[in-house]
Amino acid sequence: MTALGIAEAAAPQLPPSGKRVPEAARARRRLGTGLLALVGILFALPLLWMLAASFDSQASWTIEWPHFTWANFQTATGSTYLHSLWNSFVLSGVATLISTAASTPAAYALSRRRIPWKGPLLLIVLFLSGVPMSILVVPVFQMFADNNLLSIIPTAVFLGVTTMPFEIWLIKNFIDGIPYDLEEAARIERANTTQILLRVVGPLALPGIGAAAIYGFVQAWGNFIVPLVLITNPNQQPGPIAIFGFIGAAHVQYGAIAAFSLLYSIPVFLLYAIMSRLFAGGFTLGGALKG
Amino acid sequence: MATTQLGGGPGAVALGAPRQLPSGRRLDRERFQWGSLTLLTPALVLLVLLFLIPVGYAFYLGLTNLRLIGPTALHWHFTGLTNVRKLGSDTLFPKSVLLTAVFVGGSVIGTVVVGLTAAMLMRTASGIVRILAGGIVIVAFMMPAVSAGMTWYAASTAGGTFATLLGSSGTDLLHSNPLLIVTAANTWSQTGFAMLVFAAALRTIPVEVIEAAALENASPVQRFRMVILPLLRPTIVTVVLLVTLLSLANFGLVYIMTQGGPNDATNILPVYSYTQAFSFNNLAYGVLIGDVMVIIATILAAGYVWAARRRT
Repeated sequence: MTALGIAEAAAPQLPPSGKRVPEAARARRRLGTGLLALVGILFALPLLWMLAASFDSQASWTIEWPHFTWANFQTATGSTYLHSLWNSFVLSGVATLISTAASTPAAYALSRRRIPWKGPLLLIVLFLSGVPMSILVVPVFQMFADNNLLSIIPTAVFLGVTTMPFEIWLIKNFIDGIPYDLEEAARIERANTTQILLRVVGPLALPGIGAAAIYGFVQAWGNFIVPLVLITNPNQQPGPIAIFGFIGAAHVQYGAIAAFSLLYSIPVFLLYAIMSRLFAGGFTLGGALKG
Repeated sequence: MATTQLGGGPGAVALGAPRQLPSGRRLDRERFQWGSLTLLTPALVLLVLLFLIPVGYAFYLGLTNLRLIGPTALHWHFTGLTNVRKLGSDTLFPKSVLLTAVFVGGSVIGTVVVGLTAAMLMRTASGIVRILAGGIVIVAFMMPAVSAGMTWYAASTAGGTFATLLGSSGTDLLHSNPLLIVTAANTWSQTGFAMLVFAAALRTIPVEVIEAAALENASPVQRFRMVILPLLRPTIVTVVLLVTLLSLANFGLVYIMTQGGPNDATNILPVYSYTQAFSFNNLAYGVLIGDVMVIIATILAAGYVWAARRRT
């Protein structure tokens, strides 16, 4: 399959719009649209509280029409919470950088190169991607405590490493789907490995690498056991712990909790929007699907 | 391997072929390049240091008397099978395993069915609805566990959105149906992932295949059951495994919503492991429960590899 073939396969297959669409197809399309709208409404229901309460000056756990105010957002963007947001950025940014930078070349080697014990190696990677993170927290806590590493950057490195197995798997499967002919053509033109990685495989695998990076960022951004246990300095704690501080407070500020939860979700949404625009048509995880 | 699997033109097969040959000394076969080591080293070092060693350490710690506080926090030692025996006589443990099975099984079925349905509907639905509905499903998937847990708690507690819509706003659904609500929340938060993967897989199905089926007068249902579904089978297997593992690891959502309660009704293994370790200070016992999860996850992953091998 050529690159053109992949591009064709990746293009959405919508029925050609126009008057020549038969009546049955149009009815089906209307039915599909209705059903999808229903799915969307069902998925939006749980979010209503967050939206309503964050603009409600008298918010509580119950759902009600808000008494409109911006005050909750002012509380949730006060300096302490902005500081925890910044910590989240540092934590997730470093984690994503480390995991993606280390996973991509490894994934390439596992996809293309002849490596002794490749099968067992891939099995170990698969095994690690299924290890629940909560069991790692205690042993890593012991290791970090022995070496005075209970702070934000080592924790970020650890968070990055926990997402690496899945990222390697994802990127490797993606590179598997890129035709080898392209690389051989580049090699005939005397391109070296670095050039091939950066100029040929890199750009083609960018959706896969991007999906892996997003996965790494989202995991680190949302995690809270790991920073809770591994970061001892309260000034280095990320957003999720701040939200917990909100709940634990003597006087629970429901509105501020909702506002901060909403704000905390936004960077992840933005990142996703940017990525999907970069690779218009959504992520073609085509290579990741063959398992 | 990938080149031939893609089923591309004859040229692709011919070029990919030398790498497929059975082992033996051949000159046309790729040999190990030392450069590969450079590519692998950063990942290998990090994974061994911060993943493999801690996993091994966890299996050792599970067999000790380590506690979070108290005299054995510092001077702990190996105690053999004491913790394993304790696990054997712990009545909460089998209950927790069962709850985990229901939680994960329910989430997997829900995620695959809703995710595939959404992906199929996205193919035919018209513009604005597709963008909005798809966007909301993805928002649910991308939302951090803390935010998702918070809003689901509010939606399902007394006076919340669900109870109000069901016409009995005083009912605390999270208290009366805790496992159902928690499973629904987990399904809600992972459907977007399944939808993205299925949508991508659907795009790789050649139009000609579906058109050919349509020319043979296959109804939309037949086209789905006999053409699309078989082609999606490998993707479904992959999604089932990944959602299983993601659900097993989704400690945050459940912990935020219920902390395992009420009366241990949602005390799934990750939550039980955490509360033993950090609420009851039983670090070693908590780690041992975690070890059980690792063993379960390994068996599932091995089953997946077996299924994938059998397929080819």
